[in-house]
Amino acid sequence: MELLQPLLRSLETGSVYALAALGIILVWRTSLVMHFAQGSMGMFSGTAVAFVLNRTGAPLWLSVLFGALVAVLLGFAVDFAVIRRLKRATAVGKEIVTLGLIMVFLGLAPILFGTDPMLLPKAIPTGDVSLGVANLSYNALLNIMVGIVVAAGLFVVLQKTKVGLAIRATASNESTARLMGIPTKTVTLLAWAMAGVLGMLAAVMIAPTTTVTPTFMNTVQVSALFACVLGGFQTFYGPVLGAYLIAVASNFLKLYGSSVWGDQILYLLILVFLLVRPNGLVGKTYLKKV
Amino acid sequence: MTSTWSAAARRALKNSHVQFLILGAALLLLPVLSANGIIKTSTLSTLGFVLIYAIVAMGLNLLLGYSGLISLGTAGFMGLGAYIAAYVQDNLRLGFWVALLAALVIPTIIGILVGVVSLRVRSIYLAIATLCISEILLKTFEQAEWFTRGTAGKQSTFPVIFGIHTDRRFMFSVIVIALVLIMMLTHNIVHGHLGRALHAMRSSEVAAQAMGVNVLKYKLFAFAMATLYAGLGGALYLFFLRSSYPSSWNLFLSLNVIAMVVVGGLRSIFGTLAGAFVIFAVPELVLKELPVVGDIPGLPYIFSGILIVVVIMFFPQGLKGLADRVRHALTPRPPSVTKDAAVVQEATR
Repeated sequence: MELLQPLLRSLETGSVYALAALGIILVWRTSLVMHFAQGSMGMFSGTAVAFVLNRTGAPLWLSVLFGALVAVLLGFAVDFAVIRRLKRATAVGKEIVTLGLIMVFLGLAPILFGTDPMLLPKAIPTGDVSLGVANLSYNALLNIMVGIVVAAGLFVVLQKTKVGLAIRATASNESTARLMGIPTKTVTLLAWAMAGVLGMLAAVMIAPTTTVTPTFMNTVQVSALFACVLGGFQTFYGPVLGAYLIAVASNFLKLYGSSVWGDQILYLLILVFLLVRPNGLVGKTYLKKV
Repeated sequence: MTSTWSAAARRALKNSHVQFLILGAALLLLPVLSANGIIKTSTLSTLGFVLIYAIVAMGLNLLLGYSGLISLGTAGFMGLGAYIAAYVQDNLRLGFWVALLAALVIPTIIGILVGVVSLRVRSIYLAIATLCISEILLKTFEQAEWFTRGTAGKQSTFPVIFGIHTDRRFMFSVIVIALVLIMMLTHNIVHGHLGRALHAMRSSEVAAQAMGVNVLKYKLFAFAMATLYAGLGGALYLFFLRSSYPSSWNLFLSLNVIAMVVVGGLRSIFGTLAGAFVIFAVPELVLKELPVVGDIPGLPYIFSGILIVVVIMFFPQGLKGLADRVRHALTPRPPSVTKDAAVVQEATR
């Protein structure tokens, strides 16, 4: 059975989804906003990376650094100029704002970076490792490593450091955290910037498989949202688990089910799954108090 | 005598249904003006689409305004309505009315199924579930060639209604009639038994539940109405444009419909119409004609996006709120009355 090869490929796409999903969950836990613009903000800074790379001929690592800077500034700007001022808006209002942001970034990208689709090369162009029956390119290995290392690093930061404690306290109860002297505004600002960088990384990792257009992150956005639904919105690790599961399921459905309809079948399966476990795999019951 | 007549007329003008009819009559003048060459045919087409989107946005306004739920599947359901209308009319040759009925019923049933699954958990799940239904429908539109002819696009013809072979101008009148009927229906829903339950749900879901309102049922109802209106809008779109392409039914149409509702003002029927005009017609009729700015790609997106953000941040009531404020400033009232009115307003809110 050729199981190893699709499994390895799933780990690669799973890493992309996991990074994007981590951004969504960070924002959700700290600002209670469903971050629908995670994909388009990733698209924007990812396009900035491709633009710098193609125009100036800078090496990829430098372009990615530039992209990270763009992502951080973008995250700061969005939180500082918009989200922070929405304290009095309803939950739906905040969601709609992130939907509006999708359109803003979608319109801005072609104005700033041109309308022509761009290409972003792989970080490691050639070479692969042979693992018995399966082959794994160095680039795929790098992507898998980046996904796992970044996710693991984030968990260590969340669990072991003071910053992580502040984030977890804000996530648990924002007003109590503020009363305890945690600068929740700074924490939220940081969460938006981190989400931006995670989205940029996801974009740079997925870009070599496609062309850099304003809509190239759509699948990542949808999959990342579903990863959060599948994993549950109550923990940080749930969505990461969900992301890898979705990638594996998607690859195997495409391989053994239907190559055209694989993702669509998967979406329906997740909807059905919601009937059975409405709070996700590792979700706790969510109580709304009066 | 004249004073009682004018009083009666003034009272009639305050009746919403009369207002809708007057608006409809005024809109019916547009095809006549177009036939005489006073307004351009392209302008008439743009306005026709404004009215279609207004119908769709009114459905979303019921959902968003009363139950606080977002649907990202509006474009998908609208597209489904359009393709079903085309398939029933042109492939099955069952005529306009059957096509219209099918375009209303099938999206609504799918919508109810999606609602049943996603509404039980948390309201935000509906947005995610409809986003994925939208992706599934879009894929279907691209792949199911027997039904949609894929990316080549489905071509259709103007329908035959009551034995009359219609044209673009006639279809415009049909859209106007549909719009007036939808406005009346929406008004009646909001001001009837259902509306009271929806209002109760909006101020506090838990309290409404305690009062015996079945929250899930009314959320489902609001979402079903939103898909019904979307299906109707899709069918009208097809009969007006006579073609449908998968690329028309992407996420950004859904976002634009949300923008129409937000910009127009939540829970306002006339506001939604104004919102549809601002979001669809202003980029089409005004921005494109501007000298330098008009050539910028993606300008309509930025326009809608920034409007959404700015309206939510600074004018949560949208255009309706602005109109209210202007009206308030223009009508001088003794201070005590305004205070009472404010109290009443506060109490009824």
